[in-house]
Amino acid sequence: MVVGDVTTGTDVLVIGGGPGGYVAAIRAGQLDLDVTVVEMDSYGGTCLNHGCIPSKALISATDIAHRAREAERMGIFADPAVDMQGMVTWKDRLVTRLTKGVESLCEGAGATVLTGRAEFADENTARVVQAGEGQGAESISFEHAVIATGSRPIEIPNFEFDGEYILSSRDALALDAVPEQLVVVGAGYIGMELATVFQKLGSDVTVLEQLDDALPTYEDDVTDVVVDRAEDLGISFEFATAATDWEETDDGLVVHTETEDGEEDSFEGTKCLVAVGRQPVTDTLNLEAVNIDVDDRGFIDTDGQGRTSLEHVFAVGDVAGEPMLAHTAFAEGEVAAESIAGEPAALDHQAIPAAVFTDPEIGTVGMTEAEAAGAGFDPVVGQMPMRASGRALSLNEREGFVRVVADKETEFILGAQAVAPEASELIAELALAVEMGATLEDVASTIHIHPTLSEAVHEAVKGARGESIHY
Amino acid sequence: MVFEFELPDVGEGVAEGEIVAWHVEVGDRVEEDQVLAEVETDKAVVDLPSPVDGVILELHAEEGEIVAVDSVVVTIDVDGEEGAAEEEPSEEAESPVEAEQTPATDEADPTSVPEGRVFAPPNVRRLARELGVDIGTVEGTGPSGRITEDDVRAADAGDESAVVEQREEDPADDTAETTTPSSIGTSQPAESAERDRTLAAPATRRVAKEEGIDLNAVPTEKTRNGEAFVEEADIHAYAEAQQAAQKADATGADKADETARITTEPYRGVRRTIGQRMEQSVYTAPHATHHDTAEVSALVDARTELKGRAEAADVSLTYMPFVMKAIVAGLKEYPVLNTELDEENEEILYKHYYDIGIAVATDAGLMVPVVENVDEKGLLELAAETNDLATRARERKLSPDELQGSTFTITNFGAIGGEYAKPVINYPETAILGLGAIEERPVAVDGEVVARPTLPLSLSIDHRVIDGAEAAQFCNTVIEYLENPMLLLLE
Repeated sequence: MVVGDVTTGTDVLVIGGGPGGYVAAIRAGQLDLDVTVVEMDSYGGTCLNHGCIPSKALISATDIAHRAREAERMGIFADPAVDMQGMVTWKDRLVTRLTKGVESLCEGAGATVLTGRAEFADENTARVVQAGEGQGAESISFEHAVIATGSRPIEIPNFEFDGEYILSSRDALALDAVPEQLVVVGAGYIGMELATVFQKLGSDVTVLEQLDDALPTYEDDVTDVVVDRAEDLGISFEFATAATDWEETDDGLVVHTETEDGEEDSFEGTKCLVAVGRQPVTDTLNLEAVNIDVDDRGFIDTDGQGRTSLEHVFAVGDVAGEPMLAHTAFAEGEVAAESIAGEPAALDHQAIPAAVFTDPEIGTVGMTEAEAAGAGFDPVVGQMPMRASGRALSLNEREGFVRVVADKETEFILGAQAVAPEASELIAELALAVEMGATLEDVASTIHIHPTLSEAVHEAVKGARGESIHY
Repeated sequence: MVFEFELPDVGEGVAEGEIVAWHVEVGDRVEEDQVLAEVETDKAVVDLPSPVDGVILELHAEEGEIVAVDSVVVTIDVDGEEGAAEEEPSEEAESPVEAEQTPATDEADPTSVPEGRVFAPPNVRRLARELGVDIGTVEGTGPSGRITEDDVRAADAGDESAVVEQREEDPADDTAETTTPSSIGTSQPAESAERDRTLAAPATRRVAKEEGIDLNAVPTEKTRNGEAFVEEADIHAYAEAQQAAQKADATGADKADETARITTEPYRGVRRTIGQRMEQSVYTAPHATHHDTAEVSALVDARTELKGRAEAADVSLTYMPFVMKAIVAGLKEYPVLNTELDEENEEILYKHYYDIGIAVATDAGLMVPVVENVDEKGLLELAAETNDLATRARERKLSPDELQGSTFTITNFGAIGGEYAKPVINYPETAILGLGAIEERPVAVDGEVVARPTLPLSLSIDHRVIDGAEAAQFCNTVIEYLENPMLLLLE
């Protein structure tokens, strides 16, 4: 301990106030544990400040302008002007509102909320370096700790984030002007979402992807719908192409690329967004002071309750590894808090739903047909195309489908894939089905509102039983 | 031919039994009907006779182990009966293997997450974790084989014998640990545990800190998530024990004795059964207890008069038969005390027969042999039967069916001493009468206090079925008969 440090004690020290951390703190507070949360940046973490919420805000706002522009078929002729600064200001306001909300929820649950960077001093003590180094530090002795430090964007060689030419997703969400030309490195879900936003805002977007396809974790017929739409919007894709270097030009920059065969090329842009994945934030923690194991990618190893190799220390959210999703972090935060309180909690979720907010959206849960077969099931599949959905057509949408995968004999629903408008919402029903161990018949016998997109789920399920009515 | 002998249902509907003692060893030759072992079930100890002639190949349970009915307890190499060999193995082939393997399942680690898909809703999975059931091994009975709460509870009940077995090993470890000197102080101050890890609520941890107690040293039987779990009361108990021990140290008490301050005894067999029954009764039936006193001068006289005649018939006549008769008279007048509540069907079952249970204290614990059809029997017959049952209960020679089916129970704690008590109903009955000691006590007669023999009565009722007024009225009738034993002639 440094002389002059103030030491306080807490039952549960939560390091990081993002989705994993703040949920752990609130839940622990609800369970009457004495909780201290330490956040070095803003409450709500990447999700609220630089991820989910700001990106969805921009996606939705952009969509309003875009849909107005594209509504001629519906008899609407408009060319809305977009004030990028206004849009970002609106986005920032709602982010501020939400982060304040998170902070007050933590306080409301009885958690002590501190600003600063927490690092381990030993297995039961952490030092909180207050904002502004040299301001002195506070030592906190803890019974349990929850590491929820999250992740940050990965940099690739020669492309260090500078916020001006080379942007991280965080920088891209804070731009105050629409770049005329945008080079996006990486066709994962962040790259695809932001490429769509900026293309719709009027940028000329080129996506460079080292692999052969966009969104490689999804099935081809799912990604095809999204890539086709992106190309229709005017985005150009360069697959199997690696960004090797860049240089400044008068108008911005030029990104040099190379294919596997050694073919070189270059793409001009006003800015370049690099979105090639995220890596865990552990370097702020002084992990050397404690005995906590990490894997070869630097993620902290955890068990079925989120416990690290140090029994009284848990890790939740992105820092504990894939899938790096806010809702996974929520669940892990709750389980960690309940485990600390001695409840028999466990991360035994049968599936973690996931969504990509492209145009159209992708929503998935559980197993694909191939995964089901690989797991020893005899899969049966039902699929409903959106062009057969009255509601989709009335929304001026026709692309995509909802697919459900079930076990043929037992009819247990094993998974679903949706690429459709509002797919992120549609998948919730099937996530419940998977979690409950529901059968096709359970969902088929549930009345769905007409006319809604959710009827597509109903029809897909009925289709899997050979009982389609509307398709 | 090898014969796998499964533990038969030695009582009526007995699910498990404790092997109290083996009478044979591996390699012994046994004959049909020779006693292999003594098995203690819920309430009685029975002999387990060999069904065949042969040589013992293997004993599948240790003494003290609890074995589920239908699991293999002994393997016998049957003397050359080739003919029989064809039938029996085919019949026995399946179950022994299963029986041997299934009880061995350890309690699942509640924090573990099953591999692959599990078709059970989240609340059922949580229940499985709470009960320590590995959901991956549970057979589902819901639609398409979905696992339900009942399935998990059934799996848990099936595991119980295995769990008990596991605990059985613990006491040995405990003693080993508790004899190890504690790291604090020079002598072992009190029974301490030495765990690496202890679960406790933060408030409890705070108390421990305040008391200066290491949580890992606090003895506890409780667990959470399979880990030792300590509550505030445990800490206070341990702290007191520590202080007491330190005081004893200071006065030069023999340090060697300190480890004997607490010894453990397995909570099993009859003790555990009693415990479970009491828990069931007290937590199911809201008890109310009514107290009154009978002035029994006339009863004492009657018994003194009849005692000689009874002795002539070689029967020791106690007060019990009189009380039983008086109770039957009361039950006939107030049949609601001779009932049972069938919660499931929402019916009160009135019993028109009078089988009275008599609670008997034995070395092994409380037993309740039953005297049947008390209304049809004479005093001498009742006396003889009661004495016989009590004697055999103390010798633990009662058969399980002699311990079942009473409709009303008497507990005669007065035989040991005392006036009033709050008897616990012998569930699912709805009433129990406790008898104090018959002694001379001050009684007011015509404005003067005189000494008279009195019998204090304590009647506990299940207040769901019986109201206080009925309890009092019943007691009045019983007292009337006890105070005027001549009335028994009319019965």
